[in-house]
Amino acid sequence: MQYSPENVMPFGPIHPSLKEPEYFKLILDSGKIKEVIPRIGYVHRGIERAAQDRTWVKNIYLFERICGICSFAHSLGYTQGVEILTHFEVPRRAKYLRTIVAELERIHSHFLWLGLVGHWAGFDTLFMWVWKDREHILDLEEAITGNRIHKSYVAIGGVRKDLPDGLRETLLKELVFIEKRARYYSELVQSEETLSIRTKGVGGLTQDTARRLCPVGPLLRSTGIARDIRVEDPYAAYDELIPQVQSSTDGDIACLMTIRLNEVLDSCRVIRDAVDKLPSGPVRNPVPRVVPSGESCQHVEAPRGELFYFVRSEGKSGPARVKLRTPTLANIMTAIEMLKGRPIADVPIVLTGMDPCFGCMDRVSVVDLNKSAQWSLTGEQLRQYGIEYYRRHE
Amino acid sequence: MNLYQVVELLLFPGLTFFVWLAFIFEWLERKTAARMQGRVGPVVTGPSGIFQPVADFFKLASKEEIVPEYSDRFVLRWGPALFFAAPAIAVSFIPVIGLQSTLFDPLDLLFMVFLLSFSTLMAGMLGYASAGRFSTIGVGRLVVQYTSYEVPLLLAMIAPAVLAGSLSIEGIVAAQSGVWYIALAPIAFCVFIIATLAELEKPPFDIPSAKTEIVGGWMTEFSGNTLAYVKLTKSLSYVFLSALAVSLFLGGPQGPILFANGVAQGFMYAVYFLVKLFAVGFIIFAIRTALARVRIDQAARLFWTVLTPLTLAQLAVAIVIR
Repeated sequence: MQYSPENVMPFGPIHPSLKEPEYFKLILDSGKIKEVIPRIGYVHRGIERAAQDRTWVKNIYLFERICGICSFAHSLGYTQGVEILTHFEVPRRAKYLRTIVAELERIHSHFLWLGLVGHWAGFDTLFMWVWKDREHILDLEEAITGNRIHKSYVAIGGVRKDLPDGLRETLLKELVFIEKRARYYSELVQSEETLSIRTKGVGGLTQDTARRLCPVGPLLRSTGIARDIRVEDPYAAYDELIPQVQSSTDGDIACLMTIRLNEVLDSCRVIRDAVDKLPSGPVRNPVPRVVPSGESCQHVEAPRGELFYFVRSEGKSGPARVKLRTPTLANIMTAIEMLKGRPIADVPIVLTGMDPCFGCMDRVSVVDLNKSAQWSLTGEQLRQYGIEYYRRHE
Repeated sequence: MNLYQVVELLLFPGLTFFVWLAFIFEWLERKTAARMQGRVGPVVTGPSGIFQPVADFFKLASKEEIVPEYSDRFVLRWGPALFFAAPAIAVSFIPVIGLQSTLFDPLDLLFMVFLLSFSTLMAGMLGYASAGRFSTIGVGRLVVQYTSYEVPLLLAMIAPAVLAGSLSIEGIVAAQSGVWYIALAPIAFCVFIIATLAELEKPPFDIPSAKTEIVGGWMTEFSGNTLAYVKLTKSLSYVFLSALAVSLFLGGPQGPILFANGVAQGFMYAVYFLVKLFAVGFIIFAIRTALARVRIDQAARLFWTVLTPLTLAQLAVAIVIR
């Protein structure tokens, strides 16, 4: 594509509105965005490769660290994949507890996102309020699992610990508070004039575009395609505690806010259901350290959308290969499509519409098209390759 | 000009007084916003962190200044001084400790209008001179915003002038000894406050320096001393515009109880002035905390299609009253 350098505005890799480094080359035409060229890979950490050197159990904590927000969804996706290979049944109580923590994580992720929308729309008060309320959920998570963010709660064959005594009442009390706040925010985002003129009609994703570009999660549901992994392919205790799929047809940021706040309300209901029906029994079954050979695919509905895990075992103490796909990678092309034709002022708010998590997304596999062979490089080889590459391209 | 006038001009109620007010305004703004958002705001430097803006200023001023390679060094070197000069001169025309201001001219309201435009012009020049990509976009937004809010701002300033039959701030203040003009021209006061938000680049009109969109807007490339003075100038403009609102609409330093004696009378005038000043300041703090940023086209539409006709109507009412 032809464009003059004057029309290019860099957005990132370091930019105040991006909390993680990612580069978007915005090509402008009289103040409007004509084309967006994303450049991903700034926070590649080699996690998939690192997983091959670790044991099955250690990998739970490694995958948790892919994302600081939906850490539980990552560990759950991986663990479920391993559990399928071991053919061991997870106790029902553990399934319920997993559901409770997964839903708490969804609430805190959605609140975090709403705060960021406020921040990116220049509405810092909303940001501060929502994040203050989010602390309640983090405290709950800490009380249940022992940690606020990287919960390390799930274990192969169950969960690491039972619900502490007396927490049930606190949990139910806090849920009432969270529901109250979520209702208040859904009223606020619709009635607050300056916020609604910034979000109504911005984005405008259509169903056809969505079908073509395959976004996942709330972004997909905002176009009226009501799909949710929790309902379509139930895992944990979702076959007994059926969540309601929230969808709308507007496809704009205002509609994404409503969908996410409705999901928060529905999550509160699911948690309450789970606490009421919580079965008794053990929370963890013993499993062997070596997992039999085989392959498994698992997907879970992370707060941002479908999170996909592929696990292959060769009967050793660690996985032979783990491949994962995070929701952000599925959504990024859609977000770019939504940006086209919008003024620069809308860039942060549209990009945030998909709830980006670039740290989760960036991973690399080196493929040389000429040799049509996949490389596997040691750190030293990679260093040498880098030096030679820049010597050649000086 | 005698020694007394020089002291008035430079110390009290002139530049030093207003610069300290600017620091206190910045502190109050941060503190109010923090309390409204459920935070505590600055607490470390001084009681309740009141000296935090002062500390910030000196820290910033002592830092290394990075000048971009392609920038216009001459403008970047001397521009901030001129930028600072505009509100620094303007505050001398505000009556504080009496009905007389330090500097006076029968047409000084027009001079205020010039200084407001000059301030924006200097901001634009500084932004262009620093030659950054984000600065250029910021200046573009600044100019669009300026062209939209200037007309309502001027019309709102003319309404009290029409009511008082005078184009000097002193004259307008003196004419409000009975009724304050906020009672006769409430719409003009509201429009003045809204246009003030736009002039000061506060939410919902912080479009030219929207940090989540264009980093720092026209201030992106500034650092060290330049940035310290640009920020101080913005705080000083904040105080100046609030003081102008007090003088034009709230009767300036006049209040119910006054002493006949010189010093005590001057003290009471200053107290009334400060009370009104902080009241106007709080209105602005509250609005800026409670709203989200609008887009530049939405701001322009608001100013041209809503506020300009409203102020014109207000002006017609003022002429009829007069």
